[in-house]
Amino acid sequence: MATLKELKQKISSVKNTQKTTRAMKLVSTAKLKRAEEAIFRSREYAKKIDEVMHEISAKLASVKESIELRAFAKIDNIEKVDVIVITADKGLCGGFNIHTIKQTINLIEDLKKKKIKIRLKVIGKKAIEYFKFVGIEMYDEIVGLSSAPNYEKAAELIEKSYEDFVNNEIDNIIIIHNGYINKLTQQVHVKELLPITVDTSNSQEFLEIEPDNDYETILETLVKKYIEYSLYYALLDSLAAEHSARMQAMDAATNNAKEMVHQLTLEFNKARQEAVTRELIEIVTAIEAMKK
Amino acid sequence: MKLDIVTPLGRIYEGEVKEVYFPGIEGEFGVLEGHAPLMTTLQPGIITIKKQDGTEEIIAINTGYVEVTPEHVNVLVDGAQPVSGEKAGDIAEAIEKAKQLLRDASESDALVASVEAKIESAARNL
Repeated sequence: MATLKELKQKISSVKNTQKTTRAMKLVSTAKLKRAEEAIFRSREYAKKIDEVMHEISAKLASVKESIELRAFAKIDNIEKVDVIVITADKGLCGGFNIHTIKQTINLIEDLKKKKIKIRLKVIGKKAIEYFKFVGIEMYDEIVGLSSAPNYEKAAELIEKSYEDFVNNEIDNIIIIHNGYINKLTQQVHVKELLPITVDTSNSQEFLEIEPDNDYETILETLVKKYIEYSLYYALLDSLAAEHSARMQAMDAATNNAKEMVHQLTLEFNKARQEAVTRELIEIVTAIEAMKK
Repeated sequence: MKLDIVTPLGRIYEGEVKEVYFPGIEGEFGVLEGHAPLMTTLQPGIITIKKQDGTEEIIAINTGYVEVTPEHVNVLVDGAQPVSGEKAGDIAEAIEKAKQLLRDASESDALVASVEAKIESAARNL
């Protein structure tokens, strides 16, 4: 059994931890609120651009024989893909990062079985550290973007992938991130960004494009905007999920600490009582001994 | 006809409308219900919305896209500022913001000036 002094120290150390976790939870709650607002605002645009993109491509596909942009081409022989992984820069958020990493590893193994080469672009310190540790080669490492999503930087990053895609260097772009569903749930999303699948099942035969039916320029700028925004939205989504995961993890940690303090206090009281009883017994025995 | 205007910062307008006028890249054009499918880019300017009850609303935009189908109109713009408000002060502020948006978006002084004039005259009717 631990001594009284040891127990006392343990209790105060757990209490300190509890203070830290509670503070972290409060910080995450505040940050989550901001991140939530950001995704709610941008969700509309993300949905709309997705909708418009698919409608337009479906219409064009039925008007024209084929769209001469690689972004809409059907690629049968996939040789090389870009995989963009988004995790947090910081830990202490439960299984948030490891879920994304596990999913990535599953995907990498699947692709390897199909003999597809992978270029891994990793956003977020946690995944970078992990891949370095297990010795998975990374093509690009980006730190600081997932904790502060920035449209320009996201656009710059995806632009490089897009150019390689257009130049036939890669055949697919996949984004993996852990997304926000509500305050208590996160879900890992795997999204194949390019090529865009054209659904021609229900579309009209007629579409006018201005200026001068120059559909390629307009589609290309739209595709660029679409992929840029998809990545930016994934970053925002990931940030909100990170804060909600951290809030939960810290809440659980605070509760655990509370429980532990309770247990330790009981133990401490028991030990103290024992000491008191022992001392009393000693005194009584001494007196009894002297009487004789 | 359903109109949807969204920017990366959120939805600006959603609802049933009678007519809409857009600053298309090849000139201003109006859209009524049953319009032929159309896709075009927009240049900095103002979108004028005529609602079912005859009231008008104007929104200043920078660049973007519009997709028209017979039933609905989807507008994707990078930035938008509705020119409206309850009090005179709010309207004046909205006008100032709208002008700023246009000045940031366009390098053509003539275009900015003409759109600014339009905003001023539309605001007078509010």
